[in-house]
Amino acid sequence: MSRRHLSRIGLAVLSLSVFLLLWQGVVSLGGYPTFILPSPRAVVERLGSLLMSGALWRHVQVTLKEILGGLALGTFVATLLGYLLAHSPVAERLLAPYIVASQSVPTVAIAPLLVIWFGTGLLSKVLVCALIVFFPILVNTVVGVRSVSRDLRDLMRTLQASRWQMIWMLEVPAALPTLLGGLKVGATLAVIGAVVGEFVASDRGVGYLLKQGQQLYDTPLVFVGIGTLVVMAQILYGTVALAERLLLRWQD
Amino acid sequence: MKKEMLWLAVLLAMGLTACGGISESSPTPKPTTIRLPMGFVADVQFAPWYVAVEKGYFAEEGIELEFDYSWETDGVRLVGSGELPFAIASGDQVILARAQELPVTTITSWFQRFPVSVVALEGNGIEEPIDLAGQKVGIPETFGASYIGWRALASEYGLEEDDVELEVVGYTQLANLTEGRVDAAVVYANNEPVQLKQAGRDFVQFLVAEEVSLVSNGIIANETVLEERPELARAFVRAFLKGLQDTLEDPEGAFEICRQYVEGLEENEDAQRAVLDATIDYWRGEQLGESDPQAWRNTSEVMRSAELLQESIDLEKAFTNEFLP
Repeated sequence: MSRRHLSRIGLAVLSLSVFLLLWQGVVSLGGYPTFILPSPRAVVERLGSLLMSGALWRHVQVTLKEILGGLALGTFVATLLGYLLAHSPVAERLLAPYIVASQSVPTVAIAPLLVIWFGTGLLSKVLVCALIVFFPILVNTVVGVRSVSRDLRDLMRTLQASRWQMIWMLEVPAALPTLLGGLKVGATLAVIGAVVGEFVASDRGVGYLLKQGQQLYDTPLVFVGIGTLVVMAQILYGTVALAERLLLRWQD
Repeated sequence: MKKEMLWLAVLLAMGLTACGGISESSPTPKPTTIRLPMGFVADVQFAPWYVAVEKGYFAEEGIELEFDYSWETDGVRLVGSGELPFAIASGDQVILARAQELPVTTITSWFQRFPVSVVALEGNGIEEPIDLAGQKVGIPETFGASYIGWRALASEYGLEEDDVELEVVGYTQLANLTEGRVDAAVVYANNEPVQLKQAGRDFVQFLVAEEVSLVSNGIIANETVLEERPELARAFVRAFLKGLQDTLEDPEGAFEICRQYVEGLEENEDAQRAVLDATIDYWRGEQLGESDPQAWRNTSEVMRSAELLQESIDLEKAFTNEFLP
């Protein structure tokens, strides 16, 4: 392991240790009861009990399924529609006002309706996630496809490239950096979408754990839930970032 | 010297005038402002509170009441942490809060009967609670009053957890019931059944309160407030109970008062009036506001068997009738 790598790990450990010490200091000096602000130890103990019983992993699996389903659906629809909007000014003029207007509606307002229309199972949560990831990916797709220079298009036409060759050999590589940027935002937003869906109606998932912690005044459980969501969002973001590095190696 | 005497005389005169001002008319004491977390949105079900404010019962006690329509659990936390003196919360929330060392106590049992029921549309073959075996039952959550009510009812009829397919549907029970996604649903007896009736649907209803006595909504207070300001607690309860009594005696008048507090009441007037009439039945009792120790014991037992409560708590500290008039 390189020296630079080691120093980066050291810094991360140091900042985490300072954060935990400060947290413990606030709890000890303020004399806060656990239901207001639990100590790091109380949270770690709660995390330990959930890990030992296997409950945390069960809930994480459910939420992960919703996130990945929503991300896949949202990305698929947003990319297709984004491509259409990028190429068709008529479609843009027709659809853009509705798409923008849809973004002014908070997801928490739509989620209960989706539960009524599509039931309380996986589908309604996947749809909430898909709705929340849709817009950033759509916008980035439009920007990405439109960023292809006219010269390159003309060159492809001169070489008599077919429609598919135009897409796969020019537009996809050109739009990919922007699209992956949107996917990074979407991946973290999908975590919020899953939790919103689970808050409306669920008996499993990390959102359910959070709700349970709030309802039972089990604040350490709320902290464990929040921490789990943060880790999930980080992993998803990191995965897209890794994919970005692999897919865009040609740029270096 | 003469000049100094003159100053002294002026000061003395000013002092006497000031003293005279105090003795002639004692100023009205500034009312104590209390923000009350209600646990729900503005609704006709809060009629006794609106009546008590409008008729000046709180003002008579030197209290200026502010309604805070925040979530029930937030209200319990604010009272537990000493940020606010009182809140409206159900008995099960008090038990859960005390299990997590929140110093809260119910000082008035507003609801004398537990308002949860199970409804099924007619023609589904469900005529008795035992018929729920093998059926899909929609429930808002797997905690809270609905779940406790369901567990109590199921236990009375010997229904085990595996006998019924329980599905968490949030607060979309009616949509799920009428769409046939569930065979029955756990609801608030003073709300959803009224809506079903208004929609002209025939249904059967099993009231939890007919099977077992459980605690429902009441006024909760912080223990320190009860120790240090018992008179404030008594005054608060007194004012509320006057509003409750007036609402029970004159529901029509109470409904009129609700218009000032509940937006959009006119658009849905018949249904809202029916909700108020249905709710009033759950407030009536021999002694308004009195807590029944047996109901608290029953609630605690149901919560233990449902594993919502890991260890029993000292119920004597969870409620008191000491502050009732």
